[in-house]
Amino acid sequence: MKPFRHVSLKIKIFLSTLGVVLLISVTIAMLARWILVSSLTRELELRGVAIAQSIAEGGSGYVLDQDTPNLVSLIFDAAQLGERKILISYIYIVDMDGNVLANTFIKPFPRDLLSVNILPPDKDQAVTLIQVDGEQAYDIAVPIKEGIYTLGSVHVGLNKNHIDNLVGKLRFTFLGFISAIVVIIFLIALRLSNYITQPVTRLTRISDEISRGNLDFPMALLDAQGREPRDCPAYNNTDLPCWHFDQNLMAESEATAENVRTCKECVFYKKRKGDEVDQLADSFNNMIWSIKLYRRRLRESEEKYRSLFDSNPDPVFVVDLKKKRILDANPRAEEVYGYTKPELLGRPIADLEPPDGMTGVCRFLNMPQAGECILFPKVRHIKKGGVPFFVNLHACRTHYRGKEAVIFSTTDITDMVEKDAQLIQASKMKTLGEMSAGIAHELNQPLNAIKMGSDFLSLMVGQKRDIPKEHLGRVVGEISVQVDRAATIINHLREFGRKSDLKKEKVDINIPIRGVFTIIGQQLALQNIDVTLDLCDSLPQIHAHSNRLEQVFFNLVTNARDAVNMRQNTAENGSGPREISIRSWLENDRVAVTVSDTGCGITPQDLQKIFEPFFTTKTMGHGMGLGLSISYGIVKDYGGDIEVGSEPGEGTTFKLTFPLTDN
Amino acid sequence: MRRILVIDDEKPTLSMFSLYLEAYGFEPLTAETGERGLEIFREHHPSIVLTDIKMPGMGGLAVLKQIKEESPDTEVIVITGHGDIDLALKALNLNATDFIDKPIRQEALESALRRAEERLATLRNKDEEIAVREVGGVAAIDIRGNLTSRSEPYLLKAYKEASGPQGTRPLLLHFEQSASINGAGIAVLTQLLLESDKLGQPVAISGPSENFTKVFEIVGITKFVDIFETEEAAVAMLQGKARGLTTEGAP
Repeated sequence: MKPFRHVSLKIKIFLSTLGVVLLISVTIAMLARWILVSSLTRELELRGVAIAQSIAEGGSGYVLDQDTPNLVSLIFDAAQLGERKILISYIYIVDMDGNVLANTFIKPFPRDLLSVNILPPDKDQAVTLIQVDGEQAYDIAVPIKEGIYTLGSVHVGLNKNHIDNLVGKLRFTFLGFISAIVVIIFLIALRLSNYITQPVTRLTRISDEISRGNLDFPMALLDAQGREPRDCPAYNNTDLPCWHFDQNLMAESEATAENVRTCKECVFYKKRKGDEVDQLADSFNNMIWSIKLYRRRLRESEEKYRSLFDSNPDPVFVVDLKKKRILDANPRAEEVYGYTKPELLGRPIADLEPPDGMTGVCRFLNMPQAGECILFPKVRHIKKGGVPFFVNLHACRTHYRGKEAVIFSTTDITDMVEKDAQLIQASKMKTLGEMSAGIAHELNQPLNAIKMGSDFLSLMVGQKRDIPKEHLGRVVGEISVQVDRAATIINHLREFGRKSDLKKEKVDINIPIRGVFTIIGQQLALQNIDVTLDLCDSLPQIHAHSNRLEQVFFNLVTNARDAVNMRQNTAENGSGPREISIRSWLENDRVAVTVSDTGCGITPQDLQKIFEPFFTTKTMGHGMGLGLSISYGIVKDYGGDIEVGSEPGEGTTFKLTFPLTDN
Repeated sequence: MRRILVIDDEKPTLSMFSLYLEAYGFEPLTAETGERGLEIFREHHPSIVLTDIKMPGMGGLAVLKQIKEESPDTEVIVITGHGDIDLALKALNLNATDFIDKPIRQEALESALRRAEERLATLRNKDEEIAVREVGGVAAIDIRGNLTSRSEPYLLKAYKEASGPQGTRPLLLHFEQSASINGAGIAVLTQLLLESDKLGQPVAISGPSENFTKVFEIVGITKFVDIFETEEAAVAMLQGKARGLTTEGAP
């Protein structure tokens, strides 16, 4: 059937119908013709035989009597009877010797007739097509018998023209009838093929229109009458799927598992009674309706989310997971990062992040078993022109236009970070103030030694006495050592008071811990507080600011000191261990530090509030209540954690853990 | 050679102290802790002890208390942080004979040592410590050595004698170089001065060491009594006041 593939269905139906009908007609015509013509000829022959036999019967006596006139009248009567006139062209009788006894020829008897159809002796009849006077005729010969003797024979000539006329008339009528049928069938086939193919053609056109996105056009073609899709309540209420609307109207008991996804009685989904083509059209109609509804819902959803994307007050980016390039960005991203959208699209994500790759999208992309979403606080990003700023970065894995992607949003927290830094700095200044007593004491010691040494020298010089070499060396050496000692303290203070860079550095956590005790170690000793430092020397480094950590430890240690003193004041006998111990070690890939004291402890109700700003148990003027809250902020800033365990009257332990640097 | 015990937790300070005291002609003994200091004190019985107040373990005040209990005549000079007058007062209440500030200045140390020496020299003679004399119409009480609770009856007697029968004679309290005063002494003195103030008796103080001037300021004596460095200035002021009183008194 391959060659017919390009022929339209309409022509196929038409031609095949027509062909079948024509074939049947021709077959019928051929059959009919064969049956009719042969039977008609046979019938006429039989009539001729009957005529001849009746003549032979009636004429036998006349033959015996040699009564020619009666024979002639007999055969003329037979020939002229009724319509035989037309059928019979001649009749003649011959005797056994071949003499013509009578004939109906008006003209002289054609002698050659005698030899063309000779009746064989044992047969009762013989039929032969002969030629008489230029006309064709069936010559029928019948014997004339008298008892067992054959007297002669009767020949009747049937006019073949007449027979042919009859056959021709019959054929004409028949052909006419067949033609009429063919014409009718032709028209019917044309109609039928049109009827079948026209809706299909129409549906094809509709499909084409739908493919082109024109969903309004088909409605006109589909003669969809009555309601428009927008009349459906689900059209404007995209919160629920359309079946849901009907479902809501249903009593809950009726909502079984089978009908949960179908409308109970939907006025929009219709199946009219009709033939298959009508039903197909209805189905099509419903399908378009459904497509329209869902397309609208989809568009609405798309618009909704697009507007969310576009109107987001924070920059939002979509990044190709493999190429690490930006696929999409919202207008806010242009504003914040200073690039135009065409500049942003296709830009490597590394352009927005500092190359260290410690945090941010690059790190997220390199984390194979990271969860779906992750939040990186205080990540440094770079605007166009290399201006750095701080963001909180929230990244999620997603699929975007068939690609694996990461969608991330950033919040500019530079102001906050700077405020934080200012606050930390301010609290550091306050800490310095608190330190001042300790500092004064610490500085006084070397100054005192220097002063006495130099006074000794000036005394000796003033009295013009010789200074023993050994004494001079001792004094000068001690002065030098003590000046260094004072300078160390001052340097340490300067370092502590320095405003930290926003960028973190690698810090050995033991350094700030020891730093705290260079300033208040002596003070603690004077208050008879035993300090135990159990520091692990081979600790990996962490990402932090040394002086901020020192602030944290200073805060914890001074709190511990106050707690120890507080216990001393409240305890009845005033005795008991006075200890502060600090331990550092590596725990589960984190650096851990505990600061423990044997102080008064914290009550459970206070324990929940100690990290809150301005919470303090100290008397007015002795604490702002900011130390622990700022310490908490600092520790959290480094990805660290701070926990506290306390037993009132027994002491308190603060535990800090920090993540390691990557290498 | 006089033995001096120095107690200080700072090694460099001790080292410098030794040199310094040696240069002064003393025989220094040193101890790094209060406990050790007491041990050495019991062993060698030095007549002068210098001790830091702030020390880990046994503090300077505890050392002072212990020494004064065991040997009340020992001159104990406490070393305080600069400006730490509260501690100085506490020490004086515990009968410390003097205090010096850290960082230690040569003059302060010298004068403290000198006063200690003088006090030690006049130790046994309470009568001589407080003497009354007259300077240009003004009664003057000389105070030497250590003014403590033990000197209270002498001071009261001298005060009465100097104030005259009405108790309104202009009075000068003159502190000698070696004079020192402890907590109890300050309390007695304050009591007497308050009474004089009530009676309208003009009183002046002259000659206390810098340290004690500071202490008088702190305890509030300077609010109603003027302190002069020299005797002459004080006498001039008192004579002026006395004239004022007589002209006021004469109708």
